[in-house]
Amino acid sequence: MIFLVTWLVTLLLIAFPYPAWLTLALPHFGFLFVTWWGLMRNYQLSMTLLLISSLPVDVLYGTTLGLHGLLFALIAYALTLLGPSVRQVNWVRQSVVIFVVLLIASAVSYWARTLTGQSPEFFILVLQAFVSALLWSPLRWLYDSLADYAQGLRTQRQ
Amino acid sequence: MRPLFSETSVAAVRLIVAVTFSVATIFIDSRFDALTMVRQAIKTALWPVEQIAYLPGGVSSEFVTWVQSHDLITERLEVIALENERLRTEQLKLQTLRAENAELRRLLGVKERVNERLLQAQIERLSNDPFVHRVTINRGLLAGVTEGRPVISADGLVGQVVVAYPHAADVLLMTDATHQLPVQVTRTRERAIAVGVGRMDRVELRNLPDTVDIVPGDLLETSGLGDRFQPGIPVAEVKEVIRAPGQPFARVIAAPLTPMARLSLVMVDLAEGES
Repeated sequence: MIFLVTWLVTLLLIAFPYPAWLTLALPHFGFLFVTWWGLMRNYQLSMTLLLISSLPVDVLYGTTLGLHGLLFALIAYALTLLGPSVRQVNWVRQSVVIFVVLLIASAVSYWARTLTGQSPEFFILVLQAFVSALLWSPLRWLYDSLADYAQGLRTQRQ
Repeated sequence: MRPLFSETSVAAVRLIVAVTFSVATIFIDSRFDALTMVRQAIKTALWPVEQIAYLPGGVSSEFVTWVQSHDLITERLEVIALENERLRTEQLKLQTLRAENAELRRLLGVKERVNERLLQAQIERLSNDPFVHRVTINRGLLAGVTEGRPVISADGLVGQVVVAYPHAADVLLMTDATHQLPVQVTRTRERAIAVGVGRMDRVELRNLPDTVDIVPGDLLETSGLGDRFQPGIPVAEVKEVIRAPGQPFARVIAAPLTPMARLSLVMVDLAEGES
């Protein structure tokens, strides 16, 4: 239930028609979704579910199918390993760690995109990772609220 | 002693499986184009989500229209009426030219070109990925839009439909890094391939002979080679011709005539395949 709610909200955030001039300043909502699951709920995270949930993200971004599956898996793995220590530090340090992880994911994204015929500029990927890390705190609050809401709904049903 | 099958190693195995699956999917999708059906199914399933996402934009534009004063709307109507009159006059001239063209084609024994059947479509969203120059339009298979249809605007060529869904279609803009387009220079009929470079304001002609007769200001149009776009659709204007000393090839930089970043209405040419 929590996964479904957070995933649907992430898809809405991605599908929202932002103006063209904002594209460079947008965070990668898909990465932030996986970051939240990797850091906060990794004990509930299924790799199969993560791979399946990445396919609509590929379709919405118009990228090759499988690209976000690869990146999601790497981010989730890295943050699952780092999770216990990162959860205990303040949001600024969390953002720094997330920036580094997303930067590595961006490097993999750059490599995969180059192989599939795109010509990405690395600094834009770095910028996207930076903006995503910067917006980690408000997005974390949003996902926490959604999780609480979904949990409340489930409790009410029971 | 560290256990052989620790939690970390289980996670690593899962990672390896996930990475293998993803890389295989990337390979199949990019090399064999075999996952179009999967993409179509996912996009169709996402249709309600997209409609909800478009809702705030739609409501705000409705609100802006409602707030606009009566005077402003009257003023706009007057401008549109004047423009309509001008276009009707232009159409009369066009009819004469069409008749002349048909007569000339008949005399030359050239096959008559089928009239365009244009379908108006609205751009719903741009891809949020800065390296993917794709837009989603609000017409799809149900309206007759199929893969490969050219998409044009009032200014010139926009791109082509790459995936058609029941209610929408993805259009690959000609500025995308994976798009290549056969063009010719309007002035000299010199042929070349316009390659997207991943920038909305630029396409390039590469590997042209150093002696090629192209100057800044020349217009590029579709050449009709490749049987996808009919000839004569305006594409771009040449901005710069780079002739590096000692290099056998020249490089031409051109700006698309259609302002890609500000597109809202486009036309899908449905008659292209019938010509």
